[in-house]
Amino acid sequence: MLKYKGELAKSLQPGGSLEHWTERHLRYLMLAPTVLILLVLTIFPSVYMFYAAVHRISPNPDLPWEFVGTGNFVRLISDPQFHVAVRNTAVFTIVAVALEFVLGLGLALLLDRYIRRLSFLKTVLMIPMMLPPIAVAITWKIIYEPQFGVLNEIMFQLGLPVQAWAGDVNLAMFSIIVADVWQWTPFIFLLMLAGLASLPVEPYEAAALDGASSWRQFWDLTLPFLKPVIAIALLLRVMDALRLFDLVFILTGGGPADRTKVLSLYIYQVAYRFADPGYAAAISLFVLFVTIVLSTWFMKRMRLAE
Amino acid sequence: MLRKFCLALAVATSAFAISASAWADFTVLVPSSSEGDGLRAAADDYSKMKGTKVEIVQAPYANVFEQGANAGATKSGVFDIILMDDPWIPFFAENGHLEDLTPYFKNAGMEGPDNDFLSKSLAICRNPYNTGPYVCLPYVGNAQMFFYDAAKYKEAGVEAPKTWDDVLKASKTLTENGGGRYFGYVFRGGQGNPVVADFMPIFWSYGANMFNEDRTKVTIDTPEGAAAMKTFIALRDVSPKGIESYNANEVGTALAAGTAASSINWPNWVATFEDPSQSKMVGKISYSPIPAGTKPGSSEIGHWTMGIMAASKNKQEAFDFMIWATSPEQIKISASRGNPPVRASVFTDADLTKQEQFRHYPVLMEAIQASTPRPRHPKWPEIENAFGIELSKAVAGTITPEEALKNAQAAVEQITGLK
Repeated sequence: MLKYKGELAKSLQPGGSLEHWTERHLRYLMLAPTVLILLVLTIFPSVYMFYAAVHRISPNPDLPWEFVGTGNFVRLISDPQFHVAVRNTAVFTIVAVALEFVLGLGLALLLDRYIRRLSFLKTVLMIPMMLPPIAVAITWKIIYEPQFGVLNEIMFQLGLPVQAWAGDVNLAMFSIIVADVWQWTPFIFLLMLAGLASLPVEPYEAAALDGASSWRQFWDLTLPFLKPVIAIALLLRVMDALRLFDLVFILTGGGPADRTKVLSLYIYQVAYRFADPGYAAAISLFVLFVTIVLSTWFMKRMRLAE
Repeated sequence: MLRKFCLALAVATSAFAISASAWADFTVLVPSSSEGDGLRAAADDYSKMKGTKVEIVQAPYANVFEQGANAGATKSGVFDIILMDDPWIPFFAENGHLEDLTPYFKNAGMEGPDNDFLSKSLAICRNPYNTGPYVCLPYVGNAQMFFYDAAKYKEAGVEAPKTWDDVLKASKTLTENGGGRYFGYVFRGGQGNPVVADFMPIFWSYGANMFNEDRTKVTIDTPEGAAAMKTFIALRDVSPKGIESYNANEVGTALAAGTAASSINWPNWVATFEDPSQSKMVGKISYSPIPAGTKPGSSEIGHWTMGIMAASKNKQEAFDFMIWATSPEQIKISASRGNPPVRASVFTDADLTKQEQFRHYPVLMEAIQASTPRPRHPKWPEIENAFGIELSKAVAGTITPEEALKNAQAAVEQITGLK
């Protein structure tokens, strides 16, 4: 077989051999499948998105794509629905991730210090994170249902005023944040717990000998040691929060009064309901840009922390 | 040998996965709802009878539009027939996604659909509305009706509500006496399609319209529109807390559970209200046409219609199936499966009308004949979204009803380019 291949290579490349060529280019050949997959799954869609973002694309297949240059990006400046979506996404991301971080870190400290052996409790705490987002959204929709929902039934039984959790302009975003915090706090908790488990013991022993209080130890030792883990946890959660879709789609549909319209929902509406994929690509690029800027900032902070 | 076998198996599996519908003679895209289930059952019957293989692809409501639009825009030909909600027809027809049915009728020796179809059901299947060529055939005869608990209304001093003033009068009394657990009225207040769908009949009942006759002006912010909005907001005040997020399910459940006395709704809810396993109100809900405002009431029509995709490679087979599925016999079977008919002969069929579950048929037929289509515009999804945002804000009380009308007028003018 090898002999045959060699002969074939010789016939194709006079003066060389297939084995020799393979040996010389082995590293490229080994990389080729990965590069190919990357091209197909990441680079091609990204390039295509850039291409779509500078065109007006008609839903009529017989009409050509019209080049509009920066037109779709300029439209972002004067689109009030886009501004609403940016504001709502920012509010959601900041509040939800902050709450998840505080609760996740608090739970990790509690479990790590006092109930380290209760692995059953750790498993239970992780259940929300393992559920499909759509199941979480439907569960919370049932909980929030104004007339028959369990939350209002409890309020009613306690003599408290019932609320339109997902239907009230002042409560809708809060309700979505609560559902998200319920699902994703365990993720922060898990990372923090892993971080706490890897902390060295010696500095704490020394600090204790010097009479440092628990709070002092947490502030001066635990937090600085955890900084890289915190940076990763926040980075992943922020990136995910910027893509929020399922909860809003199921619970509120972006309402009431546009109070929960987030960027992913708006991109979906523009692309699929309004059949304007060019503009949807421009909004998607904006989200990509924000994500890259935030990631770079987090990575820098992380390197500094290291 | 084993390697060759595995390779052959892999190729065969891939080919099957890539063209999942290739085995079928034609493919139909339908919603995951009673309408889609009905057509699926009909397709099974057709397959058995004709030996034709029909592939039914079911998707949630919004995804049917998206998948149909995607297939049309890419000319993929993956679907031969699409079961469309009627407001989608202008989008699909005017973007070249639907086949003109005229030559198929000619080939079949027909001038068009027969006169047994209700005229309003046929009008929506022509593009432009009622004047253009047929681009689809009606299959499910949906039009909104007014649902109410007659006993409760009587308690509140209203025998049979004829006008929105009657509805308001009864609803106010019932809500006041309900102690926060029972309400006179309930509606879909969710942003977008839900709130628009429940506002439009009231809008029309006060003589308002989204566009003028010749479609050269947007006419939302008018005295008629303001009168409709005043009634709508008054209805909000007698509805349950939280209707700002209500969709059809919440409204239907409130009526079936006996926690609300009246609402506008679609006829497919009748089956739920009359089913003892799902409803506390069996035999207690009355059906009537949409109440009048300053003008006669008018339902929003919401028919499900079958059209042939322009990129289909099996157009004749698709047309033959559509003609069969919309025949009087098949529409009657479809009605018995819970889908409202589109033919006068089925609406008046004694076999059906003598049954309790079809007692709403005379009212529904009247509602269809007095119905109005949603404004026929290829950008309707975008218009509906913009209008729905302003209505949602008005219902939530973040802006005044006057501001909502003014903003909606400006938004629809911008979308349509009409001033």
